[in-house]
Amino acid sequence: MNPFVKFMASAAGRITRVVAGIVLVALGLLVMHGVGGIIVAIVGLVPLLAGLFDFCVFAPLFGAPMSGPKIRAGK
Amino acid sequence: MSEKDFVERLRSNPLPVVVDFWAPWCIPCRAIQPVVGKLGEEYAGRVDLWKVNADEQPDLLRSLHIYGIPTLIAFHGGEEVGRRTGAASAATLGALFESALTGNKPERNGLELADRFLRLGAGLALVGLAILSGLSGVSLLLAGLGGVIMFTAVYDRCPIYRMVSLRLKELFQRKPTGSSDGG
Repeated sequence: MNPFVKFMASAAGRITRVVAGIVLVALGLLVMHGVGGIIVAIVGLVPLLAGLFDFCVFAPLFGAPMSGPKIRAGK
Repeated sequence: MSEKDFVERLRSNPLPVVVDFWAPWCIPCRAIQPVVGKLGEEYAGRVDLWKVNADEQPDLLRSLHIYGIPTLIAFHGGEEVGRRTGAASAATLGALFESALTGNKPERNGLELADRFLRLGAGLALVGLAILSGLSGVSLLLAGLGGVIMFTAVYDRCPIYRMVSLRLKELFQRKPTGSSDGG
């Protein structure tokens, strides 16, 4: 299993993604404003939701399943 | 039936018991009925399923500290090992039967506590950000999303959600009857 995918599926990886997502949303809405800000906020929602609901959108690129529990189980 | 009689009956019963406290007017009781009946059949000969009409045994309910129905209590060797109040999924009810059989506490089929806090925190953060950015347009959507995320932290504890999801599951799993192949 790819170490990047393994980290992303771990508890630390999930928290990292959630925090990064919140930071991006805050950056987009509070700092950037405008269309650019909205785009950054929407992009931020991806890691946020993926971290919260335990799936990894990049995992299939490394030949791993998207589901966090399946990655942790090494399936 | 008094609590004493009930406990005596439980202790003298050779098999572990799951007691279903229900009432005819109780909609969630009716919703879980097919699942409970199926589990009763599945565990027949290993776990007994008793049904107690809550309207007919108010004293017993009071003495067992049952404050809502449906309540299912798993007893092993006359001792309570697990209970569940409200409509629940087949997996949760199955875990209750299993705990009556083994005498162990039922396995939890819910979210981890850390997951709940993570979702609550993230939801709150989104609502906070939406408020800070002025609550208009995209921010309102973000606040709504934050609310939904917060709900996902506790959805499995919400009796209305449990009722609705059970009903929907029942509706979609119902096999079509009387279909004709002619044509």
